[in-house]
Amino acid sequence: MAELGRAALLVALGALAFSSLVGGFAAWSGRRRLVLAARNALVAAFGASLVASAVLVVALASRDFSFEYVAKTSSRDLPLLYAVSSFWGGQEGSLLLWLLLLTGFSTAAVALNRRLRIELLAWVVPVLATIALFFAALLVFLESPFQLQAAPADGAGLNPSLQNPYMLIHPVLLYLGFVGMSVPFAFAVAGLLARRTDEWWVVATRRWMLAAWLFLGVGQLLGARWAYLEIGWGGYYGWDPVENAALMPWLIATAYLHSIMVQEKKGMLRVWNVLLVILAFELSIFGTLLTRSGLIESVHAFARSPIGAWFVAFLTLTTIASLALVFARLPILRTQTKLESPVSREATFLYNNLLLVAFCLTILWGVIYPLISEAVLGEPITVSQPYYNFFLRAFGLPLLLLMGIGPLIAWRRASLRSLGRTFIWPFGGALASGVILVAAGAGSSPAGLIAYTFSAFVMGAILLEFIRGTRARAALSGRPAAASLLSLISLNRRRYGGYVVHSAVVLLAVGVAGSSAYQTVREARLLPGDTLAAADYRLRFERLADRQAANHKRRRAILSVERQGQAAGTLEPGKNVYPVSERQPLFSTEVAVRTNWLRGEDLYVVADQINPDGSVDLTVYVKPLVNLIWIGGFVFILGSLIALWPDAREQRRLALRYGEAPVAITA
Amino acid sequence: MLAVFLLYTSIAGGTPQLRPSQLAGRTAEVTIVGKVVGPVSGDARRAGLRFRLQDVEGDAKSAIRVVYKGSVPDMFRAGRDISLKGRLQGAVFVGAPGTLVTKCPSKYSAKKS
Repeated sequence: MAELGRAALLVALGALAFSSLVGGFAAWSGRRRLVLAARNALVAAFGASLVASAVLVVALASRDFSFEYVAKTSSRDLPLLYAVSSFWGGQEGSLLLWLLLLTGFSTAAVALNRRLRIELLAWVVPVLATIALFFAALLVFLESPFQLQAAPADGAGLNPSLQNPYMLIHPVLLYLGFVGMSVPFAFAVAGLLARRTDEWWVVATRRWMLAAWLFLGVGQLLGARWAYLEIGWGGYYGWDPVENAALMPWLIATAYLHSIMVQEKKGMLRVWNVLLVILAFELSIFGTLLTRSGLIESVHAFARSPIGAWFVAFLTLTTIASLALVFARLPILRTQTKLESPVSREATFLYNNLLLVAFCLTILWGVIYPLISEAVLGEPITVSQPYYNFFLRAFGLPLLLLMGIGPLIAWRRASLRSLGRTFIWPFGGALASGVILVAAGAGSSPAGLIAYTFSAFVMGAILLEFIRGTRARAALSGRPAAASLLSLISLNRRRYGGYVVHSAVVLLAVGVAGSSAYQTVREARLLPGDTLAAADYRLRFERLADRQAANHKRRRAILSVERQGQAAGTLEPGKNVYPVSERQPLFSTEVAVRTNWLRGEDLYVVADQINPDGSVDLTVYVKPLVNLIWIGGFVFILGSLIALWPDAREQRRLALRYGEAPVAITA
Repeated sequence: MLAVFLLYTSIAGGTPQLRPSQLAGRTAEVTIVGKVVGPVSGDARRAGLRFRLQDVEGDAKSAIRVVYKGSVPDMFRAGRDISLKGRLQGAVFVGAPGTLVTKCPSKYSAKKS
């Protein structure tokens, strides 16, 4: 079994080395048959990675503890689904997942772009193969998941806090996002290598970037949801280096998805977009490095591992090579078009980009600050929440405002008078909401108040866009409003999908502001019969209860809840006890949450400590509007899918624009 | 470049990160990273949890006394590596509430915890 896995990895390594080296030579010398051979080798590497992954899945499912990897990430009493999810529970498996996804994406990218001109495909293949080669080499020479040992009686088991349904899917989504960034990067670099500097690579990979961005976004939201339910500190995002690792490429991808519209429409920002796609790719490699190497001390990090140095080397080399390539192509990459007015659609895109990139670099600075300060000052200095929260407000609030302004402003040049007319309704709505909010007492947090007012402005602007578009459509077609709205969205999927995503961001902003700026926290030690009040709620501790589950025991504090004097059911916060070793069981704190969907509010209760005398230490959070974050997640998915959905008319238009009789390469 | 560095650093106002053996004489707020030495006694929700911390790659000679009030992560126990923000008061390092973080030992290979 293990031999088969090892052999498959060797085959993948060989195929990728061939694809990278021979493919590079073929592209350089223009040999068509070699190009196709390199492409086929890349596809073969995907097959080999599939075989290696299948071997690991079988070993994990059958708890074959003669595999070191299986023994250290799983155990006999671990439910099957979690046992298989240990595939990405450790370092070696995660690297294999990277390889599998990257070769799979490469195969799909080559297959989906069959009409790609051969001189471009010729460069796409070796670029993708070189990235995959790095991961294959790590797996073969340093971190093999197929190391054998004398099988122990049982495995070490999976950390209880990871035995959670969100953890089955969250890491995979993040990896889909990280790895997905490689495809637009490879196309951009291939374009530069082939001296083709127009928008073809942007167009060919827009949906790749959008999909990677969607995966990364949803992955982060699921991670936040997991932290909210599992860690038990009432929060969902802690600016931990590994959380930042996923946020940084996502921010850059967000900037990119906006700035390519300027390039497609006006031919501007070419250099900028290439730089963004390089940055997004390098940050996704950096993200993998952060989660996998323990380079930066973090809650998530592994013990320091030998692959860190290799990642740093790969990161450095690819960055230098990409930047050198951009520099070499600058003369043909530069555009003549200049910004016509600082008050125009393209200008707002530019401001949005600057803010997003600045925010990302600020986070990056915070993440690597311990390393820099250790080098400069001789002592690592860490920055924490206040630093990040300051910049979240400094960059996030203007971004929120721009989200309302951008869509309403004309391309090229907007007159102040037309601006006044356009903005009167959203502006009035925002002002009215601000006044109402101050009257309702939201002035206790200025940042929260600003976020809410801006949110009202953006929502007003988005609604206005939908109403105007629908009216125009209805007037044109004479159909009823609902049908007109649907055809409006379907005819302009990118635009209206984008607006739906914007409204998701507004929901997120309102949820974050509400749950952090306006939350109530109470702590108390209760004996059975004692009560505790928090905001509108009153909790009464009834008793402790123990229950036995498959591989753990559940201790729960049974609480009866009243809201505004009305009975509102029971809550059962507590701890799970996993008897992994006789002497020291593992604990997992299980929070209890009562969601009021109508108000978007959560009553969130943590049993911090269950004491020998039968008392329990509770922390109770009342978090207003926090559920808008999760609802926003669904809206985010919906909007992204609208923007992603294939559009036959768009395909035909693009085929006309970039087609220039592509050579079929499906030989 | 230097200006940006200084600006960010002043806003950042970060916390130095030290090993227990480096703590002597430092009374400003710092984050210490170390390994928990038992016995762990006391009550985190009352007078405070009491234990000692030694250098992760050191011996018991480097250990300092610690008292901490606030929520305690599930993974906390003797032998585990933790980080804790706080300041030295006399001979005891007093942790700030809610800043106790456990490092995942590689044994559990936590990818995200």
